[in-house]
Amino acid sequence: MTTASSPSAPAPVSSDRRRRRRNVLVGWSFVLPNFLGFAALTLVPVVGTFVIAFTDWDSYSSPKWIGLANFRRMQHDENFWTAVRNTCWYAAGHIPLTLVAALGLAVLLNQKLRGVGLLRTAFFFPYVTSLVAVAVVWNMLLSPDIGPVNQLLRHLGWSHPPGWTTSTDWSLPALILTSVWRDMGYYMVLFLAGLQTIPAELYEAARVDGAGPWMRFRHVTLPGLRPTTFFVTVMLTISSFKVFDLVQVMTEGGPGRSSLVLSQLIFREGITHGRFGYSSAVSLALFVIALAVTLVQFQFQRRSER
Amino acid sequence: MRKTTARVLPVALAATLFGAAACGSGGGSGTTSDGRTVVKIALWNYQTTPEFKALIDGFEAKYPKIDVQPVDILADDYPDKVTTMLAGGDRTDVLTMKNITDYARFGTRGQLLPLTDDVAKMADKSAYSGLADYNLKGQYYALPYRQDFWVLFYNRKLVGDADVSHLTWSGFDSLAKQLTTGSGSSKTYGTYLHTWRSVVQAVASAQTGGNLLGPDYGWMKDQYSVALDVQKAGATLPFSTASSQKITYDSQFTTGKAAMVPMGTWWAAALLSEKAQGKNPVDWGMAPLPQVSADGKATTFGSPTAFAVNKKARNADAAKQFVEWASGPEGAAAIAKIGLVPSYHSSSVMNAFFGVQGMPTDAVAKQAMQPSKVQLEMPVSDKSSDVDEILTQEHELVMSGEKSVDDGIKEMDDRVKTEVR
Repeated sequence: MTTASSPSAPAPVSSDRRRRRRNVLVGWSFVLPNFLGFAALTLVPVVGTFVIAFTDWDSYSSPKWIGLANFRRMQHDENFWTAVRNTCWYAAGHIPLTLVAALGLAVLLNQKLRGVGLLRTAFFFPYVTSLVAVAVVWNMLLSPDIGPVNQLLRHLGWSHPPGWTTSTDWSLPALILTSVWRDMGYYMVLFLAGLQTIPAELYEAARVDGAGPWMRFRHVTLPGLRPTTFFVTVMLTISSFKVFDLVQVMTEGGPGRSSLVLSQLIFREGITHGRFGYSSAVSLALFVIALAVTLVQFQFQRRSER
Repeated sequence: MRKTTARVLPVALAATLFGAAACGSGGGSGTTSDGRTVVKIALWNYQTTPEFKALIDGFEAKYPKIDVQPVDILADDYPDKVTTMLAGGDRTDVLTMKNITDYARFGTRGQLLPLTDDVAKMADKSAYSGLADYNLKGQYYALPYRQDFWVLFYNRKLVGDADVSHLTWSGFDSLAKQLTTGSGSSKTYGTYLHTWRSVVQAVASAQTGGNLLGPDYGWMKDQYSVALDVQKAGATLPFSTASSQKITYDSQFTTGKAAMVPMGTWWAAALLSEKAQGKNPVDWGMAPLPQVSADGKATTFGSPTAFAVNKKARNADAAKQFVEWASGPEGAAAIAKIGLVPSYHSSSVMNAFFGVQGMPTDAVAKQAMQPSKVQLEMPVSDKSSDVDEILTQEHELVMSGEKSVDDGIKEMDDRVKTEVR
């Protein structure tokens, strides 16, 4: 406070610089607690993974540097390739289906209907429900012999309905179905927010020009939602590739290895078998896959914006 | 003043958070406020696993200067959680070894304190069944206190007059079919074969001499034929239903849905305590596990449970004292009294076991408790956990009908040969 009153200092410049520095400091003080948590719990482990992936480490004795051996092993590991295939399958089903379901719900529930708030809440509900409860309930619904889903299918004339989580062919579809049901409410809310940003005048103009509902959806709604769609796609992609909890609770990767996904393999190799080096190498592979897919999506987005 | 507060507060908060995090792992002293030595013991499901309380109470009564504190962990997560704790330099004094495979892993990594000298001091080593399984290249890092093995539990009302004392597996198969009655929701199954791979694979290994570490698994074929035949006849809840519904063997038996269930002896204590709480109306008995050959010998499999001392234990001496006491005659008496089979064997311990209120004491039950041979459920090796994963996956595929027995066995052979190193 004394320097501010000193006449010799060029007051405006100094107070400007000081204000800026103070702003920076205040900003940092706000960010700092979060950043410390992030650094200690995420950043350091992530950087650690990059190093550990090149070692042989059981989490207890000192790590041994083995260069690229973990990656060579990965190349010939059938579990790894099964997990890559399953993860890609899961993503290929989960991303488009959730996108379409969420968009469809958002468009439907964007109308001024009575009780629309209740419906929106109802569709959002699965997302806030405990995942374990969701998995257990769906396991029951999809139970091959006594589950209501198969009872209905039999009623409709399908004499040998799928075995769902107990069949190697149907375990991934069962997981996709459950996760679409669980996630669509959340992405629906994002789409609803996106829909609010499209000016009503555009719809009016389109209607004046004689555009029907489908034309309005194609040429007004979809382009207007492009930023939201892009964001939703990226988030969905990342969450699909790192899916773990649902698979672990519903099928544990089974039957056999039919629904083994990459995050599960990472968990098994590291925690169950104590091969933290190899487990980190697989994490790196997952990171590279997710990064590559996301970069491709960014590229597409940039091109379509031009 | 207010400005200063605004500036200092976030920093102080951050410092507190950091400080708290730093102290979190290192805090705590080794004694209570009244000067008793604290021994912390890692265990699972403290509320529903009465043996731990029985052992802790018994030990504290004898050594009032020591305070034993349970560190309760969810049973399913126990091995993973202990792995993580030890990797983080945890100083919990006593670690319960849930199975031998994990024990071998912790032991060979040097995470446990050697107890070899204490074993050498034992007066009568042969009384400790299962002790030899803890021999890791001449060193012992844990002492067993419980030795479970598999028997056949049966519902007296449902089984009726049928003789279950000397069953072969083919006899078991036809009896299970015979005892199956009703249909739909009122169906009573002749048996319940739980989803664990041991129900088929460990039985076959113990009774045919096949090696579970492979890589040749042809000896499993007959046992799979029995299990699949029982399932095909509808004499057990189908594997796929049991696994997708996460059915517990306890509910199948105590609700009278299954007449016979092959299971480990630990179940007796659970059934007794349920009955004591009025939850389970079933009148049950125990018989020897059915056999592959009818030569009169009763070969079964099982697995001991042990206590080990953490190498980084805060109070290693007191921890050792607990481990020795729990595995010795006094600990054995404490757990036999609640219906569990202790590792330490003596006639007085067996009398205590059969003296438990509600324990079946007929000749067949006594015969079941004296098998001719108990083979270790899974051999100890650094390959055990990898092989276990493969065998579990292929077991699922065979039992859910996704693969034939021959294809499943061939896949086990191939995968164990190529994937396990």
